[in-house]
Amino acid sequence: MSNPDAAKMAGAAPPMDTVSCTINGVQVTVPKGTRLIEAAEQVGIGIPYYCYHPGLSAPAMCRMCLVEVAGAPKLAPACVTEVADGQVVLTESDKAVEARRGTLEFYLVNHPLDCPVCDKSGECKLQDYVHAEGRPRGRSLEAKRVFGQDDFGGDILYDGDRCIMCTRCVRFMREVAQDDRLCVVQRGHRSVIDTFYDHGVEGSPWAGNIVDICPVGALLSKDFLHKARVWDLDGTPSVCPNCSQGCNVRIDTRDNLIQRLRPRANPDVNSYWMCDYGRYRYDWIHRGDTRVAGAPFDVTAAGDIEAPQLRGANGSHEEVAWQAAVLALVERLEAARGHASVTVVGSALHGNEDNGLLMHLAAQLGSVKAVYRSQRAADEVVCPGFPRLARRRDLTPNPQGLEALGFERAGDDEGRGGLAAGNGVLLVLGDALADAPADFGREAALFVVFGRADTAAARNAHFILPVSTFAEAEGTFTNHEGRVQRYWPALEQPARVRPAWQVLGVLLAGLNDEAAPADAASAFLRIAELFDPFAGLSYATIGTRGALLNEPVRLGAGGS
Amino acid sequence: MADETRLVGGNEGWAGERGDFAQLSEADIRGTACTEGRPKEGRAAGGACAYPYQLAVRDEDAQLFEGPYAERLAKIRSRYPDNRGALLPVLNLAQEVRGWLSPESMARVAEILDLPATYVRGVATFYTMYNKAPVGRFLIQVCTNVSCNLCGADDVMETFLENVDAEPGETSEDGLFTVIEAECLGACGFPTAVQINDRYFENVAPADVPAIIDRLRGEAHVLNGSRG
Amino acid sequence: MAYPYRHDRETRVLSAHFGDPAARTLAGWRERGGYEALRSALAMGPLDVVEVVKKSGLRGRGGAGFPTGLKWSFMPKDDARQPHYLLINADESEPGAFKDRELCRWTPHQLIEGALIGAYAMRARHVYIYIRGEFFEPAQIIGRAIEDAYEAKIAGADVLGSGVAIDVTLHLGAGAYICGEETGLMNSLEGRRGQPRIKPPFPAAVGAFGRPTTINNVETLCAVPHIIRNGADWYRSFGTEKSPGTKLFNMSGHLVRRGNYELPLGFNLLELINDVCGGIRDGRSLKAVIPGGSSVPILAAEECDIALDYESVAAAGSMLGTASVIVMDDRTDIVKQVRRIVEFYAHESCGQCTPCREGTEWMAKILRRIERGNGSEADLDILLELGRNMTGTTICVLSDSAAAPVASSIHKFRDEYIARMRAPAGVPFPIGALTG
Repeated sequence: MSNPDAAKMAGAAPPMDTVSCTINGVQVTVPKGTRLIEAAEQVGIGIPYYCYHPGLSAPAMCRMCLVEVAGAPKLAPACVTEVADGQVVLTESDKAVEARRGTLEFYLVNHPLDCPVCDKSGECKLQDYVHAEGRPRGRSLEAKRVFGQDDFGGDILYDGDRCIMCTRCVRFMREVAQDDRLCVVQRGHRSVIDTFYDHGVEGSPWAGNIVDICPVGALLSKDFLHKARVWDLDGTPSVCPNCSQGCNVRIDTRDNLIQRLRPRANPDVNSYWMCDYGRYRYDWIHRGDTRVAGAPFDVTAAGDIEAPQLRGANGSHEEVAWQAAVLALVERLEAARGHASVTVVGSALHGNEDNGLLMHLAAQLGSVKAVYRSQRAADEVVCPGFPRLARRRDLTPNPQGLEALGFERAGDDEGRGGLAAGNGVLLVLGDALADAPADFGREAALFVVFGRADTAAARNAHFILPVSTFAEAEGTFTNHEGRVQRYWPALEQPARVRPAWQVLGVLLAGLNDEAAPADAASAFLRIAELFDPFAGLSYATIGTRGALLNEPVRLGAGGS
Repeated sequence: MADETRLVGGNEGWAGERGDFAQLSEADIRGTACTEGRPKEGRAAGGACAYPYQLAVRDEDAQLFEGPYAERLAKIRSRYPDNRGALLPVLNLAQEVRGWLSPESMARVAEILDLPATYVRGVATFYTMYNKAPVGRFLIQVCTNVSCNLCGADDVMETFLENVDAEPGETSEDGLFTVIEAECLGACGFPTAVQINDRYFENVAPADVPAIIDRLRGEAHVLNGSRG
Repeated sequence: MAYPYRHDRETRVLSAHFGDPAARTLAGWRERGGYEALRSALAMGPLDVVEVVKKSGLRGRGGAGFPTGLKWSFMPKDDARQPHYLLINADESEPGAFKDRELCRWTPHQLIEGALIGAYAMRARHVYIYIRGEFFEPAQIIGRAIEDAYEAKIAGADVLGSGVAIDVTLHLGAGAYICGEETGLMNSLEGRRGQPRIKPPFPAAVGAFGRPTTINNVETLCAVPHIIRNGADWYRSFGTEKSPGTKLFNMSGHLVRRGNYELPLGFNLLELINDVCGGIRDGRSLKAVIPGGSSVPILAAEECDIALDYESVAAAGSMLGTASVIVMDDRTDIVKQVRRIVEFYAHESCGQCTPCREGTEWMAKILRRIERGNGSEADLDILLELGRNMTGTTICVLSDSAAAPVASSIHKFRDEYIARMRAPAGVPFPIGALTG
């Protein structure tokens, strides 16, 4: 069965004919071919469902979405019934409510009372619907059937007893991952989900999504197993930082620690999905750079600088207040104006605002050579069922933004090398300089690090100003196709850390007497004024779905 | 059970029908002239799937799709617009050769039809007649559904279990017999209906069971001999 | 004559050659007038053939009783969406039904001839005979018949020299009752799990392999050559106005003479039992009858003085279905038989729809518990409510079929259930003692 949403996402033009119906007395007009469940959603009427998913085929087998259609003898499944002109639909009539109540009872007959030990509790569709409309007491006196648990390999655990046989996982693997790893085994009340014997789902780059789409706690992430209760989590919309695809995600944190990443739906970018490469790489986000193995760059352990540092004449750093640091730096920058060369090292882990204002600051001082490094994989991993989504070669979120701002790629595919400090002004944002030799930047007339990594090279800087990681601040990334997308702060930053755009804005105010942006939105507007690709964009136009840059972005050497 | 007209044609009551056609021989009733001696590679492709896939002669380790079976496989595939359509007949063929569908057999079928192995597993486990574990030389399926149940099917089932000395679904120690309950076999006018490999035995009463078992042992002996 | 007993009151149309081994062969069938109807049909236009079948009033013999000519007319009248398919449902698995097996093993060419006529009428280029996997012997007989038909150029590239090409393929199932449901059959033919599909789309629009498809029962197609040869009016001379024609009645259970009998529709059920089948065995008396296979409501003995046609049986609160008449005498344990029937549905449920997947097995568990003596009247109320929740709420009607014998037996034989219960009626089952 084809999925109209997939067609929409592929950029197909919507049909011209429309049909109208009333749902619970509310009139709704939709393109011909729209299904009742979608039409209802458009007017804010929610119809319960399990097996239906807007990103997958609709088998109409869970029987939760049965609605009453005037004149029809049987209840109709809203997930596959197309709107007919003049239809009168009732989703809350006695017949519909009774049908749902009866169906929910069937779901509970064999479902184990695992809520106290089940990860899904709090975001479980079975809990939600039963609480809303189910019978208050079970009346089955029969023993429940037991299938037991199964390790599907990779990150996935399967609990057969909790499974409600919606087959979303099977259909996801078949239709989106296009890698048939799962099947329904047996039939009838003995049906259960399984893999091909001991061939699990390991190796599939998309398997993590099945945990998201499982309506109950039958499919579990080993990574998240028994880690946190979902009602303790704070969810923040953000963008995945692990490659340049820019999947929209939600960062779930508890006690200022990231517990998991989950995809947010964006039909233009990642549909409802994200890849496993990105999904499980979140530990490193806490530090924002390179401390943790498996992070975009690898570095040996180094400390974290959390307050402004000023290098004294004797070569050692002293902690100073922000005001002191800024005033001193403005003075030095003023003195350096007109200097022959300015070397800027940007960061593809920092937003457009940070890198853009850095570029603007550098431009005040002299002729700029701006570079960035980014780790890059040998190939892309495309999602077969939604080819617009891929794990891209660039393993950082903002190389395209940097290209649009005039930075050039440097270094190798490991993200190393390519740096020449020079003896002019050296401004480094975010890059830990982990691979740089211990004397890197010693010849620079003025060396400023906007960052927190306490590496040997960083310790050569005259100023070390600790700035927020993307997870601690608001900002935007530009993804591989030039789409600018917003992220919001998910973590609380250490007390004396500031967003880079804020620091740079204040420095620019001191240099140029221009108004410092008061918030990230204003910082972005400043970028839009300064850099043509961003002209006309604003946080309002970007919204939660993103907006494309104005002109084709010059792709860095080696492509996206 | 209703009394039977005396059998005339060499047709043991449980090997065929009784009533007004008692003069028919077993060969007449089973259509032996049509069913015996058909070449393994099949004749016209339209009938290429018309072979029993539960036989007493099988080889678990045999290569699939070789020799005459390769020809039959080609005929089967030519009857369907895509590879997937040929899946059931090809699974039938694999079970005909090996007696049951092991994971390796399923993987081999998947390979030959260019289908995912997991998918093949999902299909094979849906259907009752695909053996997912080895069974005895003779798979004895006793219908206990309503029409036969009304006429003593439960007793027939019990008697078979006693005679082969095994639990339902278990294979007897000599490896010859596995007895299971079956759903309606479509021979409700001749209770109790019992399917043994590719043959129906009808009008089976508990008293008939020992003779049936003896006959099967005799056949096993012959088959063993014919395999040299 | 039907099989294995003949009776004077039979109308021997489809079953004329049952028990005649020579009729199986191509030569034997031709000697008995075979393939003349095909020749006549090929000389008519396809739409004319459809008209004749429509006028005859032939109704599908697979249980639903849908008018066959009307079903055929749903197929596209042109070749824009070729190939069209005709699928023959020989997956006879309904408990109580055993007519298609007889038709297959005694008169395979009758089936092939009817199929070729139907395929011609519907512009179908390929006929698949989906036969259940257990029917090895009939399958081999049909397989041989197909091979012979190809050799004689009856099936294949040039049917009887008409220039029409129709292929016939035999496809063996693998043991699943649900593959007798027409959309489940299509899925099974396509090499999938045999799970029914949602309708719409209907098979004539999107069927097997995505093409226009019609699925017909074996008995339905076997009637077609006779209708073509003798005409629609002739066919209407049998049976009733709304249920014309003859029917193979499948008589099983506690009868003196079980078997198939071909009789005109509208034949009286009690006469069929007492006269044609020789009455109840061992001199016992009639207790209950399931008139149409296990999926239909049970009739108590006093409800059995009815005509066996689609309308009359429906009016009596049951369904004619496949005319699989299961006769139960006064010693029958109704609870046990209903339990066994529900276990059948629980075993055969495909598992897609939750009410069926969970409900059939739940009902089976309750019935087993009642049969063991641990039931209560509250269980009967639950069974009735489950039955209502399983009716009209699923993709196919298997769950409706499981509910029907349960509901009808509780309504008509409640005292048998009550007798099985541990506590006397009115004393509630102690739920506190539940350990699950």
